[in-house]
Amino acid sequence: MALHVSTVVVPIDFSVASTGAIETALEIVDSPSQLHLIHVMLPLETMSPGVLLGDVTDVSRTEKVTTALKKLADDHDADGAHLAVMIGTPGLEISDYAKRYEADLILIPSHGYHGMKRLFLGSVAERVLRHAPCRVLVLRRTDNE
Amino acid sequence: MSSRTQKLFVFFICLFLSGLSPIAFAQGNEDGNTVTEQNAGVANEETTTQALSESIDAQFGFIVENMAKVLFWVPVQAVPIPLIVLILFCGSLFFTIYHKWLNIRGFKHAIDITRGRYDNPNDPGEISHFQALTSALSATVGLGNIAGVAVAIHTGGPGAVIWMMLIGLLGMTAKFNECTLAMVYRKVRPDGTVDGGPMHYLEIGLQERGFPFPVAKAFGLVFALFCIGGSFGGGNMFQANQATSAVRGMLGDVAGINWVFGSVLAFLVGLVIIGGIKRIGQVTEKIIPLMCGIYVLAGLVILVIHIKQVPDAAVLIVRSCVSPEAAYGGFIGVLVQGIRRAVFSNEAGVGSAAIAHAAAKTDEPVREGLVAMLGPFIDTVVICTMTALVVIVSGAYNTPEAGQGVEMTRWAFSETLSWFPTILNISVFLFAYSTMISWSYYGEKAWQYIFGTTRTAIIIYRIIFLGFIILGAVASLDNVIEFSDLMILSMAFPNIIGGVILAPRVKTLLEDYWRRYKNNEFVVYD
Repeated sequence: MALHVSTVVVPIDFSVASTGAIETALEIVDSPSQLHLIHVMLPLETMSPGVLLGDVTDVSRTEKVTTALKKLADDHDADGAHLAVMIGTPGLEISDYAKRYEADLILIPSHGYHGMKRLFLGSVAERVLRHAPCRVLVLRRTDNE
Repeated sequence: MSSRTQKLFVFFICLFLSGLSPIAFAQGNEDGNTVTEQNAGVANEETTTQALSESIDAQFGFIVENMAKVLFWVPVQAVPIPLIVLILFCGSLFFTIYHKWLNIRGFKHAIDITRGRYDNPNDPGEISHFQALTSALSATVGLGNIAGVAVAIHTGGPGAVIWMMLIGLLGMTAKFNECTLAMVYRKVRPDGTVDGGPMHYLEIGLQERGFPFPVAKAFGLVFALFCIGGSFGGGNMFQANQATSAVRGMLGDVAGINWVFGSVLAFLVGLVIIGGIKRIGQVTEKIIPLMCGIYVLAGLVILVIHIKQVPDAAVLIVRSCVSPEAAYGGFIGVLVQGIRRAVFSNEAGVGSAAIAHAAAKTDEPVREGLVAMLGPFIDTVVICTMTALVVIVSGAYNTPEAGQGVEMTRWAFSETLSWFPTILNISVFLFAYSTMISWSYYGEKAWQYIFGTTRTAIIIYRIIFLGFIILGAVASLDNVIEFSDLMILSMAFPNIIGGVILAPRVKTLLEDYWRRYKNNEFVVYD
């Protein structure tokens, strides 16, 4: 492949498509350590039962997601990949992360939202395309969300 | 709190503080004149605010009236029961018979689960069984129990109480069915948080039962739409309206009090839902069980003091349920009022509580369903009945000066315990506050189902929610109740129909669970 990259950011939303993106990314890089698997969580809803009565906090959420990312990396032979968890608007956080780590490529599957959700949510991939500081490879998603 | 949210919040608060007063006080009165003179005086201000409130109320009433024509459609004119009330009653009866009176045979086990006997901290979910019940109760125990019962007796007579209790008992199994389904079809996110509720089980469950995607999705969408409406109505306007009424009862008719108190309430709710100050919400949620206890205790004290009148009250309730006075719309009128107010209070069959119960930490869906079953019992059979008896033994129900809604209940309590209204007012405020916060969560989940989870979508919902608090404080009780009933009861359309279609799945799970329970196969943790 003519594309030479040293740092690839792969946003993970734990859908089949995003985990599949890890495999594509591994084909592009020389070593899993060049991969950054990142997950963006939405801000906590302060009125949710887990916050008001349970022990759900951003710390507990980050721990759980990190564990899940680690397992995902192991399952896909991507041991050694960098793992990161952020809170905020996915499209913007992904682009900021890529800027911070001077990534060469963001590899992201496209979503299949329709109707109202498309109108309001747009797609994370679209937003990344608009804000990314580097090249973006959008993987076409075959299943509908 | 991020700087963006902070800015939005500050902007919003400024809008309230600076914008509302001029709107309320400086807009033209009914003749179209503008109050500009400095010495317009209190009387003029009062008329202006009143005129604006009345104009808003009239417009709101017009919308409600037209919606009611569709949603409260009466299929058989000779028997004036709105279709939705019929669906709720028949649905609850169906679930109770189909699940073989689980409300009775599963009662003791439900209490054991709630006590934490089977709590495994490693199970997926956000909160324990007890916390899930508390959370669901903080949304249902509210002004429906204090004011709603008084409304039921005012419009349906004392006999309505029997029907409230009956639908409370039958509603237990309806609640079991919907909360079990919410557990089966919930999504546990990688961060440990949970997303569940009727919109999800209707969409996925109905497809599993062979319904095409558009039909299943339509069920989910219709539910979500009514749930958003319910979060603006019963979960918000009704609470704001009656909390304002309680404050007015304390302070008297001060000019513009509805606007001021409505804005204060919106501000306080905004602190939690937009400002992200979770501590206030946490404290409120923890105080609610205590306030329930105090309320029931005070009710008991009054009943003990009036012990001689209790048998008469019971006889009156039973007699007027079977031979009701024509003034209350005859037998059907009483039945319809009883069912409406009971369902409004305990939300069984409505599907709202399923959103909270879906967060429970367990991998046994049936177990959480059983816990949920206790909700209508505590809410309606215990608390509503307590209110009803106090209203009747005190004679408030046939004393015109007692007023209606929360005012009637306050009159009833103060007749025996003159100091109690202060505590009642605090309870009313806290119940209203916690109900609004819980319902803002339900509404937001439904909103996210339709509009997605972007920040913009979420902030738009939250701002509209706060706006409805002020509208609720300003509008009249009749219009608010009508709108709230319309929205909350209509949630039962897709939820009960879908619930009946999906009931065989629940039955299979229940039979398997019950067999293991009877064989002592469960690990006990205490």
